[in-house]
Amino acid sequence: MRLLYIATLALLFYGCKDQKAYTSSTDPLTLEWSEILAQASGTEVSFMMWQGSPDLNKYINEYIKPSLKQEYGIDLKIVGGQGSEIVQLLMGEKQANASDSQVDMVWINGETFFQLKSIDGLWGPFLDKLPNSKLIDLSNKFISVDFQQPINGMEAPWSITQFALVHDSIDTPNPPTTLAELASYVEQNPGYFTISNDFSGMTLLKSFLAELSGSPNGLDGTFDEAKYSDLSQKLWSWINQNKKYFWKKGETFPTENTKLNQMYANGEIKISYGFGEGGIDDKIAQGLIPKSTKAYPWRNGTIKNSNYLGIVSNSSNKIGAMVVINYLLSPDAQFRKADVSGVNANNVLSYDLLTSEDKAKYDQLPKRLYGPTIEELKDHAIQEPDSRYMIKLYEDFRKYVIEK
Amino acid sequence: MKILESMLSKNNQNHISLGLFFVLAILPVAAAFSYAVLYSFGVVGIANEGFTLRFWKDVLSKGEFIQSFGYSAAISAVSMVISIGLALYLTVIFHKDFKNRILSFIAYLPLSLPGVVAAFFGVQVLSKSGFFSRISYNLGWTKDLSGFPDLINDQFALGIIFTFVSIVSPFFLLLFLSIFENEKIDELRKLANSLGANRRQSIWKVEIPILLHKSKKLISLYFIFLMGAYEIPLILGREAPQMLSVLIVRDLKQYDLTLISEGYVIAVIYSIVIGLLTYLIFSRQK
Repeated sequence: MRLLYIATLALLFYGCKDQKAYTSSTDPLTLEWSEILAQASGTEVSFMMWQGSPDLNKYINEYIKPSLKQEYGIDLKIVGGQGSEIVQLLMGEKQANASDSQVDMVWINGETFFQLKSIDGLWGPFLDKLPNSKLIDLSNKFISVDFQQPINGMEAPWSITQFALVHDSIDTPNPPTTLAELASYVEQNPGYFTISNDFSGMTLLKSFLAELSGSPNGLDGTFDEAKYSDLSQKLWSWINQNKKYFWKKGETFPTENTKLNQMYANGEIKISYGFGEGGIDDKIAQGLIPKSTKAYPWRNGTIKNSNYLGIVSNSSNKIGAMVVINYLLSPDAQFRKADVSGVNANNVLSYDLLTSEDKAKYDQLPKRLYGPTIEELKDHAIQEPDSRYMIKLYEDFRKYVIEK
Repeated sequence: MKILESMLSKNNQNHISLGLFFVLAILPVAAAFSYAVLYSFGVVGIANEGFTLRFWKDVLSKGEFIQSFGYSAAISAVSMVISIGLALYLTVIFHKDFKNRILSFIAYLPLSLPGVVAAFFGVQVLSKSGFFSRISYNLGWTKDLSGFPDLINDQFALGIIFTFVSIVSPFFLLLFLSIFENEKIDELRKLANSLGANRRQSIWKVEIPILLHKSKKLISLYFIFLMGAYEIPLILGREAPQMLSVLIVRDLKQYDLTLISEGYVIAVIYSIVIGLLTYLIFSRQK
């Protein structure tokens, strides 16, 4: 029995032990970069990120982690989680007045940025402090403005991407590019189109909403309730009028983009969509979808945005997180991430700001074989609207379409 | 003296075990429930502004919870009836055959599947591009994918029910076979037959009543367990209505942080209803 007590106490003690080496009361923003590097060495940084991409996991585990350890003496620990999980975790910690968070840095997009800002979950502004931030063109509104909110140094862009639609150029040679064309397409091809009730589906709806506004810039600016109400009514009425020709007669909708991709791969739907300019190259390379698959933009435009890295406000190793983020923004790490046979993500560095040596490295990167480049889609790029459009679209798509 | 010492030591051990049970099982549940109650009234929660009845009023007025509760209860009830019916049929008719190792291995295999794997199998077998659809296509019954009926994410929750049945019926088969053996039902059947009962009468008046009577507590608990299932309805269900756990998690993870309390309201109501049901089941047994 006594042994059991000792074992339990030992277990509790071990569970409560702080694994991180570094804690400091000094404001990291007042330190020189060389001091930051010195203090970050030998520490552990917890990074909460979505782990759904094997290529990205491989990039982090096989390239970033060893490089950080070797160059900066930092142990990068990956914790699985995204969007609402990050928000839930940090809300819980704030509620419990936890002084040290379980995570130091997070990979986020505009909605999570909006949510984390509303609970003071992020620390900063830190972006200017990072030497590699000088290589980013912060006058680019697709980078410096996240869902209509200026990032103000509170998050660092990690990659930039544009939403695109996907079709089979043999089976569907003339895919729809406007709502009117889509209406006639679904009528002639019933059952082959749907809207996923997730981030991708809502992003598609934002493109539709922008088209209904009559301009690619129609949703720019802060959230306008009256405008949303008017445009969304038109959108719900368009969907409800046409959903009888959707997948499963519009009686239900897929819950996530992965399912949509699977359905496209097995021929259940003929129009798919997603970020990463459609993200078709890796799927073609894996033999999941036909080589005749193409990605294309909506005529009025599709959303172009960046995803970001933030530092948690109650992180106990902000210094370590800054070094990790700075490394993730380095030309080497960014170019490796842009590898078309790997993560295939667009880098956020500005070509003009690179050294001639890095420019040469960039020029030698292999190009995509099937999907369009972000450069090719730029004339059809629209800015992410205020995140409240997304929140309302989620709520109302359920209320006025799914439950109707 | 030694007996007294041994009694005291045994008493101590009982107290310690009870204490551990309280700390590890009761306390976390009670703490979580209290937290959920406070959250549902807006008392705790970063995005909340203090005590309010707003979330309770909103949830009760929307009717989505009632619909989801009814939907979950209906799916669980149908799945239980089919599973128990199937397990009873196999037990009564084929109980001797299950002494065969290979047959029993095949029958009990689905028991080892986690919910998410069972749901995945459900997709592989029932979806428009799944196993049945391919057979139907190759036999010329359907011309293309769209010709195959919706068996997952469908209006009647067929995919959920099919998957529930596939994992629940082996459990009850195992249970009924064990009761059949322990209660010597085979001998009781012979006795009934010798007293003039025909096969049909011995099944309906002797075998099935004993099997159901001996397992009724477990049947009720399994029904409650199915009502709270998550992975299977998440993967195979529709977007509306949703089963309770899916609805609760959806509300807890929603983008509008000011409405997270609605998820806690549903979780609190659900916990109370399930708590009461469990209490009723056990108090009746006494």
